[in-house]
Amino acid sequence: MSVLPRRILKETQRLMQEPVPGISAKPDEGNARYFHVKVTGPEDSPFEGGLFKLELFLPEDYPMSAPKVRFITKIYHPNIDRLGRICLDILKDKWSPALQIRTVLLSIQALLSAPNPDDPLANDVAELWKVNEIEAIRNAKEWTRMYATEN
Amino acid sequence: MEQFEQLLTCAICLDRYRNPKLLPCQHSFCMEPCMDGLVDYVRRQVKCPECRAEHRIPYNGVQGYPTNVTLQRFLELHIEITGELPDPTSGQTMKRCGVCSEKAYVTSCVHCEKDVCSDCKSAHMDILRREISRINNQVRRALHRLSDMLAGVEKNMLTLQNNCTSVSEEVDEIYRRLTKSLKDRTDHLRGEIDRYLTTELKNLCNLKENLEIEISNIQSNCDLADKHMQTDDVEWEDSELMDAKEIFLKTVEFIRNFETEIGDYSRRAKFIMAHDPNQLVNHVSNYGELTIQAPHQPFTASSNSLQAPSPGLMRSKSDHRLASQYRQEENSDISGRVSPLGGRKFGERYQSRYSRGDRNDYDVDSTHDSENRSSARSRIRSRLGRHGLNENTDSDTDSRSVRFAETNTVHREREKVLDTEDVAKGPLSGITRLYDSPRVMKRLIESENKDKKVDVAPKPQAPQPVQQPKRITPQQTPQRQLSEDDEIARIKRQNKTASTSSDTERRDRVSSIKREDSRDSNKSNTPLDNSRKTPVPEPLPVDTLETTESESEEDSVEVPVAEPRKATPARTTFPPSTSSTTDSRRSSTASDKLASKGNARLKSTRSESIESSGSSETPGTPVRRNAASAYPPEEVKQSPVSSSSGSTTPRARFSSVSSKRDSATPTNSRSYSVTGNSEGPSKKEEIEDEEEEEEETETSSESSDEESDEDSDDAKPKIPASKGMEKTDIGPLLARSAQARDNGSGGSNNSSRRPSQDESYTRSRYGTNGYKSPSSYQSPRESDTAASGSKYQNNSRTEPAPRFTSRFLKNKSIQEENPSKSSYSSDNKYTSDKGLSRSRTSANLEEDLQDDTNTSSYSPYSKTHYGSDLSRSRSSHTLKSRETSPDRPVTNSSAGTGEKDGAALSSWARYLKNKYGNRSKENAAKDNATAASASSSSTRRLSLGLPLRSNSTVVDSSDDDQKNMHSSPTSHTIIEAGMQGVGSTPRVQYLQKRQLLFKIGGRGSEPGYFTWPRGVAVGPDNLIVVADSSNHRIQVFDNCGRILKDFGSYGNSEGEFDCLAGVAVNRIGQYIIADRYNHRIQVLDPSGRFLRSFGSQGSSDGRFNYPWGITTDALGFIYVCDKENHRIQVFQSDGTFVGKFGSHGNKIGQLEHPHYIAVSNTNRVIVSDCNNHRIQIFDVNGRVISSFGSEGSENGQFKFPKGVAVDDQGYILVADSGNNRIQIFHPDSTFLRAFGCWGSGDGEFKGLEGIAVMSNGNILVCDRENHRVQVF
Repeated sequence: MSVLPRRILKETQRLMQEPVPGISAKPDEGNARYFHVKVTGPEDSPFEGGLFKLELFLPEDYPMSAPKVRFITKIYHPNIDRLGRICLDILKDKWSPALQIRTVLLSIQALLSAPNPDDPLANDVAELWKVNEIEAIRNAKEWTRMYATEN
Repeated sequence: MEQFEQLLTCAICLDRYRNPKLLPCQHSFCMEPCMDGLVDYVRRQVKCPECRAEHRIPYNGVQGYPTNVTLQRFLELHIEITGELPDPTSGQTMKRCGVCSEKAYVTSCVHCEKDVCSDCKSAHMDILRREISRINNQVRRALHRLSDMLAGVEKNMLTLQNNCTSVSEEVDEIYRRLTKSLKDRTDHLRGEIDRYLTTELKNLCNLKENLEIEISNIQSNCDLADKHMQTDDVEWEDSELMDAKEIFLKTVEFIRNFETEIGDYSRRAKFIMAHDPNQLVNHVSNYGELTIQAPHQPFTASSNSLQAPSPGLMRSKSDHRLASQYRQEENSDISGRVSPLGGRKFGERYQSRYSRGDRNDYDVDSTHDSENRSSARSRIRSRLGRHGLNENTDSDTDSRSVRFAETNTVHREREKVLDTEDVAKGPLSGITRLYDSPRVMKRLIESENKDKKVDVAPKPQAPQPVQQPKRITPQQTPQRQLSEDDEIARIKRQNKTASTSSDTERRDRVSSIKREDSRDSNKSNTPLDNSRKTPVPEPLPVDTLETTESESEEDSVEVPVAEPRKATPARTTFPPSTSSTTDSRRSSTASDKLASKGNARLKSTRSESIESSGSSETPGTPVRRNAASAYPPEEVKQSPVSSSSGSTTPRARFSSVSSKRDSATPTNSRSYSVTGNSEGPSKKEEIEDEEEEEEETETSSESSDEESDEDSDDAKPKIPASKGMEKTDIGPLLARSAQARDNGSGGSNNSSRRPSQDESYTRSRYGTNGYKSPSSYQSPRESDTAASGSKYQNNSRTEPAPRFTSRFLKNKSIQEENPSKSSYSSDNKYTSDKGLSRSRTSANLEEDLQDDTNTSSYSPYSKTHYGSDLSRSRSSHTLKSRETSPDRPVTNSSAGTGEKDGAALSSWARYLKNKYGNRSKENAAKDNATAASASSSSTRRLSLGLPLRSNSTVVDSSDDDQKNMHSSPTSHTIIEAGMQGVGSTPRVQYLQKRQLLFKIGGRGSEPGYFTWPRGVAVGPDNLIVVADSSNHRIQVFDNCGRILKDFGSYGNSEGEFDCLAGVAVNRIGQYIIADRYNHRIQVLDPSGRFLRSFGSQGSSDGRFNYPWGITTDALGFIYVCDKENHRIQVFQSDGTFVGKFGSHGNKIGQLEHPHYIAVSNTNRVIVSDCNNHRIQIFDVNGRVISSFGSEGSENGQFKFPKGVAVDDQGYILVADSGNNRIQIFHPDSTFLRAFGCWGSGDGEFKGLEGIAVMSNGNILVCDRENHRVQVF
């Protein structure tokens, strides 16, 4: 592994110095490209009150390719599957080098606020979300309470 | 401002824009690597990261996008406003990094000489830092060496002073004594002569008076007679006339007869000196000489002793002379490349590529740049090849410094640094003191300032390691404080630095100026001069030597003083003309004491030379005078020859003095006259000559004085340097050899044998010479030539070759050409039996050498070869002789046909035959007439290396020889004497063997008991030597089985054993032990003290895997059964690997677990090839001669044969371990008999191991499981 690119250093520095509200990202001690991320559930969302852990990995050719992000905490969300994989366009084809870790995490936070069941990853959740949003939101809240709440 | 900066930040790299390119969507990104990375090469388009607009890439790539000039102006504006440093990479284009091959802004790395990116560069610098700290550790670890040396030097100074003081006191004492005795004697003589004068004068006065009276009386008588007696005017009575006549007759008679001693009063009193006055003066003037040890040895030795931790350190010459010489060269070099950085300033870049944007005055002139470039290139080479061809000066220092130099590029500094010439440097190594380097100073100060500003506690680490490695030499410059941060302090400090460095510099310059001074005044800029001057910075001021005119010639007594060092050869021949120049130097340097000593020394040399040149008649001095005249004062220092001869002269002279002192003086005059004639260019040779002459005269006092001086003169010029002591041994020896030569003329009809004998003798003598003085390689040759120069050569005086080898060869050829007594020598006295006499001479020589070395008298051959340090030439020679006799066994087996074969035999075989007296010899003895046998026996005896010598000081006749031989104490002689009488004794003996004579031991660890004894050997006087394997010791018994001593204990250090197996005793009684589990061979002296060991575990040459049996042959070569390597290894007695043979297998010549080994006196190597159940016989070169036995229990078959032994008749004894019996074979390998069976009773065995045979035919065998040794 070559030396950390300057951009990653800068980003990391900035993340630590000016953290985004509701989001914390700390690089792993052993691997500066691996971040332990915690995202609080946005207000007015079924995930409010939850603290979701994610992992974020910056690939070798970052920023030319998107970071790999995955939920560690179980979450009931139509765009996030049981393995925590996230269906988010900017993490895939819509990635742009102008995006940063911070923006990615903000997007994810936004995704929590605005689930998009039309572009589902977890089909069952998306189905329920489409059919019975209240039920789904209740589930989501339930999951948040179960998995994303400390003690 | 924040936002402003943000606008100047590339969205991709999040850095300030570098070369911003404007996309058609009006977004800007850095060209590299940002825009580059956006390119979709497949679709040849770029997608704007900001707006995701897709744009075709211009024809020439992203470069084709327009540069966002506005943005660039903003960037510049921003820089101006904030005043921040310009981007160092601005204006550069990216290149592929030479290491990681990423595209980046690259800079050249001095470490790898590639263009690398900053990341790789920092990695490299890390490496460098680590290296530096590593080397630094090494330096630190090794630094104590220098401090030790320092301590040593201090001690040396002290001891030297003491030494010199004591020597000078000694000299003073001698001087006092000499003057006193001289004065006493002079007074005495004067008194004598005065007394004599008075008495004689008185006598003469009396005589004078009496004579006057007589004359007047007679005169008056005559007058009276004339007047009164011729005429008759006076009446005389007849009686009166008669009386008168009688009186006149008496007068006539008186006058006729009176004779007073009118002898030559001019020479009445003679002053006769006991010694030739010239000689005496010479003696006095040379009454003492200083031996001063060669100065270079300690240094070179120590430099070698340092296990150089790094090439760099190793290269820092610990020979300070060399180093300082280098420095001298450096200084004198116009290019002024004094720094080890090779002219480059400390930390300066090798190549400057920043011409743009340099704020400072680093707009280096192009010449400098190019020079740097070239030197950088050469540096590459030097780093790789370790000796670069540096176009400038000192490639050595250059290459050494390379690594250090690189490291300093860590601090890239663009200021022009002060010349490192100003920096204090180690006087010996030329190593810069880093603290003095302005660059380093600056760096440190800067970093400290920075620290203060940032208020961060940790100090910068980088410069620290950089400095350390160079501080090898202890320096006087004080450590500077680097704490203040304000500018004033900094400036102040810099000033201080300048002052201190200039201080040191000044010191440096002072000395150099001094040096230059002296150089100028001496008018010699030669290297020699340099070498003389180089030690200046040393604590010992060598070149403080000077002279005062006042104390010069009047002193006839030489006052040699120990000089501080003899490193300066020029000084011995220091010309008087330099005295004035050196005077000036005295004031500046050097303790008075040393100065005065140097003074005295100089004076002495001067007085010497003056004296010698003055007294042209002095016989002893002509050579020196020659030297003096050959090197006139002005040229002395420029002539390298003079330096060498000068340096060696004093020592040589001293040796001459000592030898003269030792020997009686009468011969001296002669030797002097000889040397006066000699052309020898140096005093050394003269001494040699003198000694030779002395020896010769000594010899000639006993024998006839045959030798003409020309003989030795011929040999003279080629004689190498020697010490007097070594040579003095030869004198009496030669005398004896002369005796022997006389005797030798008695022996007559040995002509058929002679050639080979002579060959062997010459060889042996050669060996002896090699043995005789193991300490120095030169001396053997020297003694050799000495011997040959005086004695040997006058036998064959036509031979001019001084080298022994050539002479040997020549002799050999001569003798081979003339087997009969042809006159190859002009020495007609010995023409009767040239060969014999010669051989006797040489044999006696050997013997005397033996006597001198104070070892018991064994064969000269073995003696010489067991000599601890064989000189290489000799050993190779011996090897050669071994090589040349591959047919030896054959000839030997056919030797039984009779003596007439002798001439055809190789010398080697002849020697062996002679030595061990095999059957052919006895046959010959029987066949021959008594006279012949007597002579042959005498020759044989001679070949035996004169064991008889020990109790015969004078060998008068062959009868005496005979007697002596029989009374010889050595067993060998006895045996042979015995065997001469009883030809077939062994066979009969062996056939009778069955009954146990006695047994030794039983299980136990007390002395006299064994735990699994394995090897057994017979030592001198039939000592029984047993390898008590599991008691880890050697036990020695006398021939009756009484314990004499034991030595050794468990362990792996010297003299300790771990389950030793084989043991052998060589001819001089040394124990050679196969230390089995330590995988080595140990050699112990006859008293059991450790001498040396060699070998370690392994399978390469000279390494062992469980060495087991061991033996030595007549020449002292050591044969080792390398059991687990399935081979035999052969070593010289000093442990030098000679050869090996055998490999794992069961074919002929292969071995499987060879256990024991024996060498017959015909040099057949008998090996028990244990797991092949056979015995194999090799020649000494490892060729198989024969192989016998197979697995089985029949006669002649074996089961795991172990011990083997061979007696002097060639009978082979095998400890047939698996069959628990001893088998005896004829020399031709046919079965003779077997005895023994399994059991623990007498004559029964359980697990046989080593076997040995005593000279009386007793068989020793180690009965391992019974823990005993049985003797049959």
